[in-house]
Amino acid sequence: MRRSGTDAYTERHATSAVARTTARRVARPAALWGLVFGATIAATMASYSSTFSTAASRADLVAVTEGNVAFSALFGPIHHIDTVAGYTAYKVSMTLIILGAIWGLLIATRVQRGEEDTGGWELLLSGLTTRARAAWQAALGLGVGLAVLWVPTAVLAMAAGRSSKVDIDASACVYFATAVVSVVAMFMAIGMFIGQLAASRHHANVIGAGVIAAAYLLRMVADSGSGLAWLRWASPLGWFEQLRPLTGSHPIAFLPILGLTAAFAAGSVVLAGRRDLGASAMRGRDRPRPRTALLGGQAGLTVRLTRPAVLGWLFALGATGLAMGLVTQSAGTALKGSPTLERVLGRLGGDRAGAVLYLGYVFVVAAGLVAIAVAGQISAIRNEEEAGRLDNMLVRPVARGQWLGVRVGVGLALVLLASALAGVAAWIGAVSQHSDVGFGELVRAGLNVAPPGVFVLGVGALAFGVVPRISIAFTYGVVIWSYLVEVLSAITDSNHWLRDTSPLLHIAPAPAAAPDWASASWLIGLGLVAALAGLAAFARRDLAGS
Amino acid sequence: MAEAAAIRTADLTKTFGATTALAGLDLEVPRGEIIGYLGPNGAGKTTTIRLLLGLIRPAAGRAEIFGTDCTADPVGAHRRVAYVPGDVSLWPSLTGAETLHLLGRVHGSVDVAYRDLLLERFEFDPAKKVRTYSKGNRQKLVLIAALMTRAELLLLDEPTSGLDPLMERAFQQCVAEARERGQTVFLSSHILAEVEALCDRVAILRDGRLVEVGTLAEMRHLSALQIDAEMDGGVPDVARLPGVSAVDVDGNRLRCHVTGSIEPLLAALAAAGVRHLTSREPSLEELFLAHYGSGAERSADAA
Repeated sequence: MRRSGTDAYTERHATSAVARTTARRVARPAALWGLVFGATIAATMASYSSTFSTAASRADLVAVTEGNVAFSALFGPIHHIDTVAGYTAYKVSMTLIILGAIWGLLIATRVQRGEEDTGGWELLLSGLTTRARAAWQAALGLGVGLAVLWVPTAVLAMAAGRSSKVDIDASACVYFATAVVSVVAMFMAIGMFIGQLAASRHHANVIGAGVIAAAYLLRMVADSGSGLAWLRWASPLGWFEQLRPLTGSHPIAFLPILGLTAAFAAGSVVLAGRRDLGASAMRGRDRPRPRTALLGGQAGLTVRLTRPAVLGWLFALGATGLAMGLVTQSAGTALKGSPTLERVLGRLGGDRAGAVLYLGYVFVVAAGLVAIAVAGQISAIRNEEEAGRLDNMLVRPVARGQWLGVRVGVGLALVLLASALAGVAAWIGAVSQHSDVGFGELVRAGLNVAPPGVFVLGVGALAFGVVPRISIAFTYGVVIWSYLVEVLSAITDSNHWLRDTSPLLHIAPAPAAAPDWASASWLIGLGLVAALAGLAAFARRDLAGS
Repeated sequence: MAEAAAIRTADLTKTFGATTALAGLDLEVPRGEIIGYLGPNGAGKTTTIRLLLGLIRPAAGRAEIFGTDCTADPVGAHRRVAYVPGDVSLWPSLTGAETLHLLGRVHGSVDVAYRDLLLERFEFDPAKKVRTYSKGNRQKLVLIAALMTRAELLLLDEPTSGLDPLMERAFQQCVAEARERGQTVFLSSHILAEVEALCDRVAILRDGRLVEVGTLAEMRHLSALQIDAEMDGGVPDVARLPGVSAVDVDGNRLRCHVTGSIEPLLAALAAAGVRHLTSREPSLEELFLAHYGSGAERSADAA
């Protein structure tokens, strides 16, 4: 039977609804991450010529880094580091692809498995679509997100590349942006696929995190000069390294990237069509033995609900600390021969040399991770309210201040534990390599990264109390802004007003410098005052659902 | 000193931006009463319950539960309240048993024997994870969590949505038991037969305003009686008689509504020779639709 034009339009419109909805949800964070990626690349390119302005300083950089297994194991192989392109590729690639892989995984499980878990997917599937078609449409929506991510990344890189001091071809910038975004695409596809197999979004994220860790470790072994360089071909992150962006393009490595992305995306569509909604191939235990030990009240429930995320972050900070410690000795030795690098790291406030200077620099990374972990806690707090689960507590004899206070307390404990753990793990790593750094010195360096975390927690709680609907975006915005200002300040002599807006720059780079306890006290004090104001505001406002 | 009412609201008002969700609600629910709270979607029923629970704050007026101000001391009020939401949202990773354990501990008191009876009565399997429960089973879970506390006041917002008729009957049995124990029940529902069967009084809300409150008998007394008559001969002109409305004549058959005394109509019909006469009180549904319908008609007129 021939349909009327209007009917045909309506059906076409309806079947693309999933793609449009997904694209809308992905576009904003993609644009934000694109700006972060592009700004990081551009700032690194722009800083090179001022940081390494002479041939001597560039030769010095080559001498320090060439053949340094510790540097390549942590951040990837080093090529042509005496050029702005080689320096940029080495300095930012690993950070961007790890962040991109995590984001790609989380957003893919969120828009599919997450929607399924909350019942939203059921509503969409009751329309003019099927499970497989909806999964395909969601993949298209994620594809739109990738395009949105690519544009600012490529444009900002090209804009920086046009400078006469940088002078990198637009085509090389486009290749670099495409290479970074291709990693995000792979982990989106992996997230989609795992989301079809797992019992819940949370389950999918845990498996996906394992995949990222395995991919990183494989390439770490491959880049450690152990004669196992071929292992790069066994890791999706290794494929990125084989692409050699900015340092001699090898586009052949796009083949496995494209193959994996297509295979996992197609596999997710096939699985979506074959399984029941809400079901999974890897079923969790639906009838587990009741565990009520922590369910005696709201505090215990909070511990139980946040335990997976808290343990995940503690593991991440511990592993980061350990990795930093393991390369301390090697990095310290290399830095001793490089006044230029010492000057670069010293710009962050360090006044010592060698291993402790290196640690002072990398502990700032730990501070950033702690701040992201804290933003995740604010996100979890808001999600409880948005989903309506908070009502179950607040219609019983639980005061609002008590509820939020406990949640903030858990965030505070996470900050302190993660910070201390990073310090202890760094000490273990350093001592195993016979590095001469003291236990107390590194525990203090670890705790030194806590104050920005406390500050972010406080302003996040304040945002939750006052403007709950934008509290998640606001808190992550504070973290991203702090990171961008920190990156900018590490590579240029930036304006002090700008520097003052980043809590990450209000701590001394311990152990390269003695911890600045006065500034730390201010950050903690402001964070606690903001948290208390947030508690008071929360007690006086309406609950705000989705 | 007289005991405080289970619920008392005075000029309770809530606005969301330019929209008035509840306008000057004055309502008193004595202890031990079961009151039905009716109104079309968006009338302000859930807003009223969320104000009583202190989840949202009034723009004006006050609400009290057993004399405790719901805004100033929500925790004090919650000690004597159990609530069943219409839209259930629970922690998907907990099992039913874990959820009941948690909610019972947070409330502070649980009648364990009654909880076990409820599990049996609602045929609820608490061993499964919440994420695997159907909508109906999630509804049963929050119902059991509320009822097992034996709280003095039960605030029920569409408590049987998603339940099958057998489970609905089990729910009605629970409310009857609550009445016997002297508990107060505030029941917001769209199932009018349920309200008619359970409630001592009914309050009807429209556009955020309380338009009717009373016992069903009082409401029926104030409402029109429907008369159907079959005459021996012609139908007399009854349209001008006091209280008579909606006159519909079909041959020798008459249908009309009478408000107030029926005597003038009976006298007129008897004088004309009536062969058969029936009278019927309006059902709750008709009472509800009478109020709701006038609103809908008014909207249509305005349009």
